[in-house]
Amino acid sequence: MTKEELIDKLKGIVKPYVKNEEGFNNLDENTDFLNDLKINSANLVDVILDIENEFDIIIDNESMEKMLHVKAAMEIINAKLSEK
Amino acid sequence: MTGNDIVDMQVAATESNWRRKGFTEKIFSLQEQQYINNAALPDAMVWRLWTMKESAYKIYTRQYGGRFFTPKKFRCILLTETTGLVRFNNIAYQTTTVNAKDHVYTIARTEGAERVEFINSCFPLPKTDLSKQQQFIYKKIIACYHSITGELKKNISVNKDKNGIPFLNCNSNLQIPVSITHHGHFAAFTIH
Repeated sequence: MTKEELIDKLKGIVKPYVKNEEGFNNLDENTDFLNDLKINSANLVDVILDIENEFDIIIDNESMEKMLHVKAAMEIINAKLSEK
Repeated sequence: MTGNDIVDMQVAATESNWRRKGFTEKIFSLQEQQYINNAALPDAMVWRLWTMKESAYKIYTRQYGGRFFTPKKFRCILLTETTGLVRFNNIAYQTTTVNAKDHVYTIARTEGAERVEFINSCFPLPKTDLSKQQQFIYKKIIACYHSITGELKKNISVNKDKNGIPFLNCNSNLQIPVSITHHGHFAAFTIH
């Protein structure tokens, strides 16, 4: 999967939880889920569960700890996919 | 030092489906899942535990810095209907929760701080966009500090540091911690 494809997939996943449309329209690697998209922290759990379902991976507690921005999410997804 | 967190129950019911597969296991310990399973009002218990964790996280990051998402590691212990403890990294925070019908509001304090006075205010928010709500809350904080200390409003401001942690500044030399929370149609702040 290319970087662009992965970002597109993530965009689809976070969309229902986004409170700041401007941040969503400008979404890139450096986007922060909480600060830039204003996703509430309880919905960050939903984002993580949706990522698990979409990519058929399990995000352990240690990885979840870093899941605050798009870049970390991409790194974690790629790492988990390569373990498969 | 205090940290606070509020959940609008009506908004939470539409925004979050905590009953979805995997949700509670990701953020709650077995003990906490027991609390939820045994609760007469499981929704109120979920958000009580969640606001306990969030308010404790806010103090911890103010004290030690950093940003991370480890709600499960903040372990809640319920003491009474309203009070509890949250433990994280061998540190304990005391919590008090207001479980109202339409909102759940928790204030966490550093241990031993129960005799330290702090200002607390919880209020409904006008139905506008997020940035206007923030301005509304900041104005409330300034008005509150003004009414208590008599300081001129023009000398009081609310600012965030580079980590996004809010402070109240007064006369450009005094800096006081404030904790701010808002969700749906409710907001609250503590000063000190």
